[in-house]
Amino acid sequence: MASRREQKELLRAERLARESGEQVKERRRRLVQYGSAAAFLAICAVAVLIIISQSGGGSAGSGTQDSAVIQKQLQGIPQHGTVLGDPKAKVSVIEFGDLQCPACQQFSTDTAPGLISGPVSDGDVNYEFRQYLIIGPDSKTAAEAALAAGEQNRYWNYIELFYRNQGVENSGYVTDDFLESVAKGAGVPDIEKWNKDRHDPKWDKVLAKVQTEAQTLGFSSTPSFLVEGPGGKNTASGVLSLSEIESLIKSVE
Amino acid sequence: MPREQTLRVAAIAIAIVGIGVATYITIADSGGGAPACLAGGHGCATVAKSQYSHVAGVNVAVFGIVGYVLLAIAAATPGDAGRFGGLVLSLVGFGFSAYLTYLELFVIDAICQWCVASAGLMTLLLIVNATRALGYAGAELTARPATPPSADQV
Repeated sequence: MASRREQKELLRAERLARESGEQVKERRRRLVQYGSAAAFLAICAVAVLIIISQSGGGSAGSGTQDSAVIQKQLQGIPQHGTVLGDPKAKVSVIEFGDLQCPACQQFSTDTAPGLISGPVSDGDVNYEFRQYLIIGPDSKTAAEAALAAGEQNRYWNYIELFYRNQGVENSGYVTDDFLESVAKGAGVPDIEKWNKDRHDPKWDKVLAKVQTEAQTLGFSSTPSFLVEGPGGKNTASGVLSLSEIESLIKSVE
Repeated sequence: MPREQTLRVAAIAIAIVGIGVATYITIADSGGGAPACLAGGHGCATVAKSQYSHVAGVNVAVFGIVGYVLLAIAAATPGDAGRFGGLVLSLVGFGFSAYLTYLELFVIDAICQWCVASAGLMTLLLIVNATRALGYAGAELTARPATPPSADQV
């Protein structure tokens, strides 16, 4: 028979074991409750941040916004299809861009105006924009609309105005109404003809050729540039500054 | 399992590095420029000038500074408040960093090394804070010394 002392120790050990079990349960309970609350709060906070981020400046313009700015920028500079400036200029700057691409829009608003008002306007350089479709199906729809505007010598007005009114990529803003608004803002004279031209299957071949060219040149992003001149060829990718474009031009003169 | 004190010190150290990175991006942006990419890449300028570099008109790097400061405070706070506060902040930071990295890769088509560095720091903080929360939640309960038995208990 256990002594009184042994009985006390046995009871104490049982009590401690019971308390320890309760503590483990309490820890588990806290972990599940607080952990779930943490995950829930985090998901809500990230969702709010993403929604605010998406809504900030991401919506497309009216389609005609800044049309006067673009008209002034391109005034007096000849256009031949996809080429802006003198087709016989000694240096050609060829941009491979996607109308849905925000980085291309950045180049269009930050660097292109200086390039156009400088060496392109002076006749030293011509500037071509080729439609390199990398963002999504709407890129092709937009590209065809721009190429159709080129049939009426408004290709450059169209792409520059498109960039000024660009929305969030693949968000569905490239509707027929939006494209027509850009066409009107770009000063396309015959909208009915433009609407017919943009559905012409011939663009499939034109666009496929550009995709092959870009891939052959090793371009994997937009905007990418091919600069050709008497001194040879040079390539670059990214939102280049005007001085970087001018360095590329000098390297092939 | 590392000691909780070690995890807390590591979290504070990572958060301080994060404050440095986010502050540099903010200063570079406020001067009208962009962070300098190593090896002369253009990714940082492209990302900094994109429409996604600001949320409600505020540079995302400012949110980063605030986040890292709060993470350092959470790491310095003892108990479950610090543990789960740090976990929430780390999850938010990691989630938003993952979204920004997705934008860089698939929308902006450019990578900013400073943003990648910050995303890496947020990932480390999530690992450290998750380890702290999962390993030490309610640790005070078991750390409490057992009360000496009173006469009526036995």
